[in-house]
Amino acid sequence: MNENSGGLRVWHIVLLSVILGLLILFYKGLYGNPSFIPPVLVGTPAPRFEAPDLYKKERVTLDQFRGKVVVLNFWSSWCQECKLEHESLQSLNRQYGQNAQFVLLGVDYQDKEDLAKDYLQQYGNNFQHIIDTQGRISIDYGVYGVPETFVIDQSGIIRHKEIGPLVGETYIKFTREVIEPLLKEKS
Amino acid sequence: MIIEIGHLAVIAALVLAILGIIAPLVGIRKEKGVWIEIGRQAVTVNFVLLSIGMAAMIYSYITQDYSVKYVWATSNSKLPFFYKVAGLWGGHEGSLLLWSWILSFYCMAAVWIHWKTQPVVIPYLIAMESLILSGFLLLILFLSNPFERIFPAPSDGRDLNPLLQDPAMVGHPPMLYLGYVGLSIPFCFAMAALFSGRLGEEWIKVTQRWTLLAWMALTTGILMGGYWAYYELGWGGYWGWDPVENAAFMPWLIATAFLHSVMVQETRKMFKVWNLFLIILAFSLSLIGTFLVRSGVLSSVHSFAADPGRGVFILGFLSSMLLLSFGTLIFRSAKLKSLVLMDSMVSRESVFLFNNLFFLVAMITVFIGTLYPLLTEALKLKKVSVGPPYYNAVFMPVALGLIFLMGVGPYISWRKVTRDNLRSHFVIPLLIAGSGLVLSYIGGIHDLYALSGLTVVIFALTSILLDFSKVSRFWARQRKINPFQGFYAAFRQNPRRYAGILTHIGVLVMVVGIIFSTIYQTEKVVVLKPGESVTLNAFRIELIRLYEAVGPNWVAQEGAFNLYENNILISEMRPQKRIYTVTQTPTTETALHQIYMGHVFLTIPEVAPDGSWARVRALYNPLVLWVWYGGGIMVLGGLLNIFRPRRKEVYSFHSSSSPSAAEPISPLPQLSSKRVSPEP
Amino acid sequence: MRPLTVVFLASFFLVAWVGTGNTMLSEDDLQAQTKEVAKTLRCAVCQSESVWESNAELALQMREIIRERLQQGESPNQIRAYFVSRYGDFILLKPRPIGLNWLLWGGPFILLFIGAIILLVSIRSWTRDTLAVPLEKMSDLTEEDQKKIDLAIRTFKN
Repeated sequence: MNENSGGLRVWHIVLLSVILGLLILFYKGLYGNPSFIPPVLVGTPAPRFEAPDLYKKERVTLDQFRGKVVVLNFWSSWCQECKLEHESLQSLNRQYGQNAQFVLLGVDYQDKEDLAKDYLQQYGNNFQHIIDTQGRISIDYGVYGVPETFVIDQSGIIRHKEIGPLVGETYIKFTREVIEPLLKEKS
Repeated sequence: MIIEIGHLAVIAALVLAILGIIAPLVGIRKEKGVWIEIGRQAVTVNFVLLSIGMAAMIYSYITQDYSVKYVWATSNSKLPFFYKVAGLWGGHEGSLLLWSWILSFYCMAAVWIHWKTQPVVIPYLIAMESLILSGFLLLILFLSNPFERIFPAPSDGRDLNPLLQDPAMVGHPPMLYLGYVGLSIPFCFAMAALFSGRLGEEWIKVTQRWTLLAWMALTTGILMGGYWAYYELGWGGYWGWDPVENAAFMPWLIATAFLHSVMVQETRKMFKVWNLFLIILAFSLSLIGTFLVRSGVLSSVHSFAADPGRGVFILGFLSSMLLLSFGTLIFRSAKLKSLVLMDSMVSRESVFLFNNLFFLVAMITVFIGTLYPLLTEALKLKKVSVGPPYYNAVFMPVALGLIFLMGVGPYISWRKVTRDNLRSHFVIPLLIAGSGLVLSYIGGIHDLYALSGLTVVIFALTSILLDFSKVSRFWARQRKINPFQGFYAAFRQNPRRYAGILTHIGVLVMVVGIIFSTIYQTEKVVVLKPGESVTLNAFRIELIRLYEAVGPNWVAQEGAFNLYENNILISEMRPQKRIYTVTQTPTTETALHQIYMGHVFLTIPEVAPDGSWARVRALYNPLVLWVWYGGGIMVLGGLLNIFRPRRKEVYSFHSSSSPSAAEPISPLPQLSSKRVSPEP
Repeated sequence: MRPLTVVFLASFFLVAWVGTGNTMLSEDDLQAQTKEVAKTLRCAVCQSESVWESNAELALQMREIIRERLQQGESPNQIRAYFVSRYGDFILLKPRPIGLNWLLWGGPFILLFIGAIILLVSIRSWTRDTLAVPLEKMSDLTEEDQKKIDLAIRTFKN
């Protein structure tokens, strides 16, 4: 607002740097992912839960898997991306399911029981699922959307969180860099 | 076939827009009028060509030509006719076409109106407007083409987003664009002034009505968007501080600041560079808003397109516009030496400066809040959300400051305030506001926001009314007429001032509406079975039954509710939970019952499939209608300002008629306009 | 017996006071408090709606959790802390005033303050410049005009 002196003034420099800073910020923003939210639970003890099995009457708890590597996959029958990764999840269980150290557990999220069963019938199923009717488990795990996959180590610590479908490169990286090293660790 | 004609027309428009940049510049350099004439013709033909493009698109909507990809994506054969046309701005590509069409219209109108009177700046104006237009046309033709076809043609369209199938949403985008794009006229005049070196008051006088028009359109657009959010999104509020809402609000704030500060330049010939800066900022903010909305850098309810290619182009365009306009301002103003003369610390000039400071800080607050998530992401910090609780807390003090200034600015004298002026005008409003504060506290209003808000509103309102009464009585006495005629005489004496005051009254009404509808809102969310009811203050809302309803392109579960006030049946309300059949998208349709200028607001977000129960969200929003009444008064003030009657000079200093004050409260501006100011 | 009475009375009030904290929360208060907390939390699956405003299933469940925790006597801040521990700071619609977030909270007021200082200093210097030029020199009014104006001002004042 100062109009008293001539030549390049302070506000010129301030204005130019603000504009340039802004443009750089916008440029970086273009290549960022606004929907990516860094996970907060990795490195902390996995929240305990108790929930009904999708098929059997029994209740499943996290404690009963103590000493094993637990892969917790949140999915839903209305989720398109879950369909993409469903095949990889089944092959994951084929690959490691024999290992006594490994458990793959599906958590059916914000879903109806019969729709979930239809889904599994249609796309195949070779692992255990629980249903999270009250949303308690997914809120305890801070799930923002489906699919999300948590990896819990033998001592009950969350070691990894994967946001989005486990397919292609992501799947290969997931098995090689997350699952295999963990299975080699001793509890 | 028709669509190809439209496509060709838009391609031709791009060529002409580029010609429109070059021709006037060549004309200026070679000093040949014929080149400038070519520029003018290009502008006119461009409007015709883009109208053909628009008509071709609308034709495809009406004839349901789903081989056009964009029509397919935003329309459906079952869609009501009204929304078929509105589908054009229901998506990214069509919105840009509408933007460009409005721009070409404004540009043509400005060139026709000012051709004779502004021969020096018009060539620059044509070049600048054509530059903006060609940027948008490039984007349309190469990165988001609405004329693209798909083969084989689908038999039916994917339907317009159900949230947009609403009367307010039909008018909201065109209104916003009229505002955004309307700011380009004063912006281009400012740029023309910078280029041609004619930095006097002329460009401001010429563009005053254009700025007002854009401001009005922007205000209307924001209000319509608010009303749409209020009953279509179904959460009972009207303003969510969403990035897209903020993108419209920021240029509005700066345009408003500009409308105020130009008055200083007009009467006191000061702050030339500041005004140039403000208008460039206002238009830049509408471009930045377009970038934020269209590039998908921010996540928002309205994020339409997430395509980095498009984003890079828009960013490139935005960068060149920002650097060109602010760069020119810096380059030119470095040579511009102007003298600011102020007589005292407290005067209307300084109030205007503080008004501008508050508006600027308000804008920066919204700006920082909107972009902060982008910043934390770039710096790889914890991801945060910046939502309504933040904005409400930070924006409030700034808004209060502005309302306070509203009660001061118009009533303080220019140049130097006298003790008389202070005593005669501000003592009573301050006293009344003070007693208002005490009374409201005793009356049971204990909320800090409500108390401080109401106090400044009372102060500003009494200040306005005091002035009204003074001028009415003054003129009544002068001319021996009744006070109402006296008031009219005052209005005729200075229509622009009173049109502005009317807008101020609108703001005050709106603020009262906001305070009451947010702080004294009662809200309940309950599950009801038929026969059960929920109580809100004196109201009782009883669910009678739930049943199916069918519309042209939706099916719904509808609830019949009875509304009782003190156990007397006053109305029936029928909210719906709709499913739009094509997209399978659910929406909640609100039922509103108007009472005491407020609303009983009812939605049923969830209904049992067998219709045995419904989740009911019931609200009583007292005085919520004042928000839009106030908004309406604001727009009315703007209209009155644009179409104001010619100022009636009842008294001239050089005539020998009986002496009287030109403007009773502050007689000095008449002096200063005649004063010889040192020109740069 | 006196001290004993005091102790008795004190413990009675203490119990009553602690009791109101937990069990006396009426249904309306509970809903009001739930609303207050829910309005400050982002609905995790929605774009930019709060847990209170959203009609999503998850938002309902989150509201239910808030309600339960309030019933158990947790404070709004404890509840918010729980959600932050699970979802991160992103869940808060009102960023905490820590680290760079001070930019958000302090920025506007610092700007207002600096702006006001700049304005006051500039106005003062402009005023000084102006006073160097006598007022009469800047006006092209004749003496006769000035008289008319003075008269006008006086007329108005009466």
